[in-house]
Amino acid sequence: MVSREEIEHVAKLMRIEIDDPTIYEGVDKMIGYFDILDSAGVESEEISAREIELSNLREDKHIPFGEKLIEKLNHYKGTYVRAPKMV
Amino acid sequence: MTKIGLEIHSQLTELQSKLFCSCKANYREFQPNENICPICMGLPGSLPQLNQKAVEKATMIAMALNCSTPEKITFFRKNYFYPDLPKNFQITQLNIYGETSVGGPGILMVGDKKIRITRIQLEEDPGRIIYEGSSEKNQITLVDYNRAGTPLVEIVTEPDFENPKEVREFLNILSDLLANLGVSDPSLEGAMRADANVSIEDGNKVEIKNIGSFHDLEKAVHFEITRQQSLHARNIPIIQETRHWDDKRKITVSSRSKEEDLDYRYFLESDIPWVRIGNQIKDKLKSEMPETISSKKERYVSKYNIPAQVADVLSSDKFYSDLFEKSHTTENAKEVANIITTDLMGLVDTREKRESSKLTALHLKEIADSIQSGKITRNSAKNVLYEILKTGKAVSTVISDLDLDNVFSESELLKIIESVISEETQAVEQAKTNPQTINYLVGKVMQKTKGKADPTYTLDLLKKKIN
Amino acid sequence: MNLKISALQFTREVKTGNISVEDFIGKTMEHIEKVDGNLHAFLSLNDNAVNQARDIDKKIKSGDKIGQCFGMPISIKDNICIKDTKTTCASKMLENYIAPYDATVITKLKQQDAIFVGKVNLDEFAMGLSTEFSAYGPSKNPWNTDYVPGGSSGGSAVSVSAFECVASLGSDTGGSVRNPASFCSTVGYKPTYGLISRYGLISYANSIEQIGPLTRTVEDAAFMLNLIAGLDSNDNTTINNNNADYLKDIDSGIEGKKIGIIKEMIGEGINPTVLSATKNAISKLEELGAICEEVSLDMVKYSVAAYYAITTTEAGSNLARYDNLRYGYDFSVEGYAFNAYIEKARKKLGPEVTRRMILGGFVPSSGYAGKYFLKALKVKSKLTRQIDEAFKKFDLLISPTVPILPFKIGEKINDPASLFLIDINTVTANLTGKPAISIPYAISNGLPIGIQLIANSMNDKLLLQAARALEKTVKLPEVPI
Repeated sequence: MVSREEIEHVAKLMRIEIDDPTIYEGVDKMIGYFDILDSAGVESEEISAREIELSNLREDKHIPFGEKLIEKLNHYKGTYVRAPKMV
Repeated sequence: MTKIGLEIHSQLTELQSKLFCSCKANYREFQPNENICPICMGLPGSLPQLNQKAVEKATMIAMALNCSTPEKITFFRKNYFYPDLPKNFQITQLNIYGETSVGGPGILMVGDKKIRITRIQLEEDPGRIIYEGSSEKNQITLVDYNRAGTPLVEIVTEPDFENPKEVREFLNILSDLLANLGVSDPSLEGAMRADANVSIEDGNKVEIKNIGSFHDLEKAVHFEITRQQSLHARNIPIIQETRHWDDKRKITVSSRSKEEDLDYRYFLESDIPWVRIGNQIKDKLKSEMPETISSKKERYVSKYNIPAQVADVLSSDKFYSDLFEKSHTTENAKEVANIITTDLMGLVDTREKRESSKLTALHLKEIADSIQSGKITRNSAKNVLYEILKTGKAVSTVISDLDLDNVFSESELLKIIESVISEETQAVEQAKTNPQTINYLVGKVMQKTKGKADPTYTLDLLKKKIN
Repeated sequence: MNLKISALQFTREVKTGNISVEDFIGKTMEHIEKVDGNLHAFLSLNDNAVNQARDIDKKIKSGDKIGQCFGMPISIKDNICIKDTKTTCASKMLENYIAPYDATVITKLKQQDAIFVGKVNLDEFAMGLSTEFSAYGPSKNPWNTDYVPGGSSGGSAVSVSAFECVASLGSDTGGSVRNPASFCSTVGYKPTYGLISRYGLISYANSIEQIGPLTRTVEDAAFMLNLIAGLDSNDNTTINNNNADYLKDIDSGIEGKKIGIIKEMIGEGINPTVLSATKNAISKLEELGAICEEVSLDMVKYSVAAYYAITTTEAGSNLARYDNLRYGYDFSVEGYAFNAYIEKARKKLGPEVTRRMILGGFVPSSGYAGKYFLKALKVKSKLTRQIDEAFKKFDLLISPTVPILPFKIGEKINDPASLFLIDINTVTANLTGKPAISIPYAISNGLPIGIQLIANSMNDKLLLQAARALEKTVKLPEVPI
């Protein structure tokens, strides 16, 4: 069981405003469902991951994008992006 | 006891491109948001393309700081919302699944003191925020993403420093080391930044952020120690917190964390597979690493007989030691080192002057050779350098333009000395009892020779004549 | 004009001059106009398609070099970027977002002279399996428009199944290509992880998802794979396939191949009709010389929980960038403080995305990461070990693609838990990175049933050969549109 406060805390962290009261139940149900992972008996399992060779990484070369990308995005005062107040 | 730890951020300024895209690593030359692409702007569907050289250079830094280097490195996402972060997460490194960041524990010696390095991680720099408006009320926040995605190496130390002086010494050594490795130019604005954490008497740790320069870092640490000591003296508890350095008031200020929930939800960045850095690669990187500062110094002393102090100054500055390497011969090495450390370093003491300088290694070699062959005096070197820095003209041209050659032969010089002795009888008499006065006579000789006489030689001759 | 031909037939007909591209594209656009008001496969159409077709006809006539698609009409799921066109992810958040670059698959198809007739519907940000979570309304199943087409690549499946295009590209995170393919009776193929570049695919759960084709035939899927697979410097997770030709030897058959029937995928909750269709398919394969045996992968029981723990975590991070500052919809920052603005801007995210965002904050958070996220990763590892073990004994694995028949629109939308059962057979291939395909196999009471085959990593060719063999045993009625 996950408390309302916990869900609200996480929602805030994710910059999500909850205005649909069914969210609480939906999230709680899902979290409850995740509990079956406890019985999978995987504690000793190693995490696997894909690998890449160093030599297959991108070569360090400057290639400009070639178009004025900022003109296709939101811009303000010339070529800045405007953000809300940080106070 | 005071304990200070550091988190140093150093941009890999010598790379051509950003950490995950082909935009330029040196963002400083662009108009706002002109050095961006779908990747560093985190546009939907874009993926990071890890820069091979960034991994190599970061590994070299780890090796130079005597850190362990893992077999495989991984990247993690650090999730938080901020306008300078186009994806609202930062790709960085962490050691939650074993040691997988570019560098593990290491050591850097500061004199006789051992500073332990906790780890080294490779990560992306965010963009830059510019605030306009005179008050909070009319604040306008502007963001320039040219810097976003610039390769950054974070070096974390253990809290091994006991005072601000040790911090400064460490940072000097570290920035020389990074410059010598050819990975970073610490003189570039914003290329090196650091946060500090400070605690006294095993008390709570206080982090200080937002420190603009190393100079301010020393001040901030000093302020913070004093602040904590005065609290401690009055039995006021020191709170574990993050404080910001207020550059204008030169104090640290508690950053009332509105971010009550700093949970970064780190997890693996699976768009970048684990990068294998095997022993073969490590050996290759090691062999490509430039000679260390201490090895250079040792070589300068033992091979060329350069005085230890001169060798120290010369070896720790990459710009000048590179110049030395290119201009010296076995014969003139000592002379070249001398010219660099006594004359050139004073003339070229800023980044701007370095960039505008027209002096080449060949110039330097020819000046040293001219001194050694007796074509010009040591004294004239500074004038020649000054002219060449501005004009880039050939050494021979400058020497004849300034009429610095035709150094007087011994017999010619003796004639002039004799004439000075006969003109300055009073001074000569004084000089016999007061050695200071003899310098006046040397000056007179230099005047008559238009500075072309060698002052040391003149002094010798004068002494012989008078006594 | 027969719009029902396969992709390969289309290229042959154009090559031989039997049809003109302009004609075919023109008729296709007319057909879309006619049926899509009801089916709602498309979110946007390419107004320039007929002109592009005309240009290709000209190139053909003048004997210029022509790409392998010969102007073939393809639809693209609206989470794949086509330069200078709207890419919405079926979200109001990206209502006006114009992609400034081409996805690698789009670049490749453009080089082969494909024509993109339009962008097709999906569940918002690909989160769902019915298209009911599209912010622009659900697509409808052409077999019965009261029913969902499956998802999240529902628009892709509908457009192929209703002859609004010859082939489509979707994306498959937990079955999002195979599920709608099964529900709409098309072929749906999820390749080995890394075989197709994801550059330009808008990430939902990047560690497990792949772009995949939806086509009328298995041969068409192989043909599409030939065009879009391979190493891409834009995507560090791509793998080198040495330019494999997946069409070559596609009729090799499956004689002597060993096929494992995954026990956990035909058990509890399976619809009896689906089960009997599956058994029927198995016996057909045996008739063709395959050796079929049951195999158990007990981690499958935990796969859906692991799948949701991983996908919500990754989605929470992948979708964090939608803060409306650099791009998005029209909403001024004036007067807002940062956090308040972002929260308000993100209200455009729909209910399912919102729910998953919160879960995505929860699962990897410092208090719960060990309990949920780490365990999910470990289940993923163990499941991979189990399936790798199975592939030591078997060449292929088989199951129904979805354990149930298509359901009615609105029937399950308010019951997320009941949807877990629907994912159970498809998520394993994503969690383990294995290639998997859904082949149309039966129609029961007018509703399609698909069969899923899974192969080992990089055995995509073998998988397509087996799928082709099974496909040849099937004769299905025509879609009633």
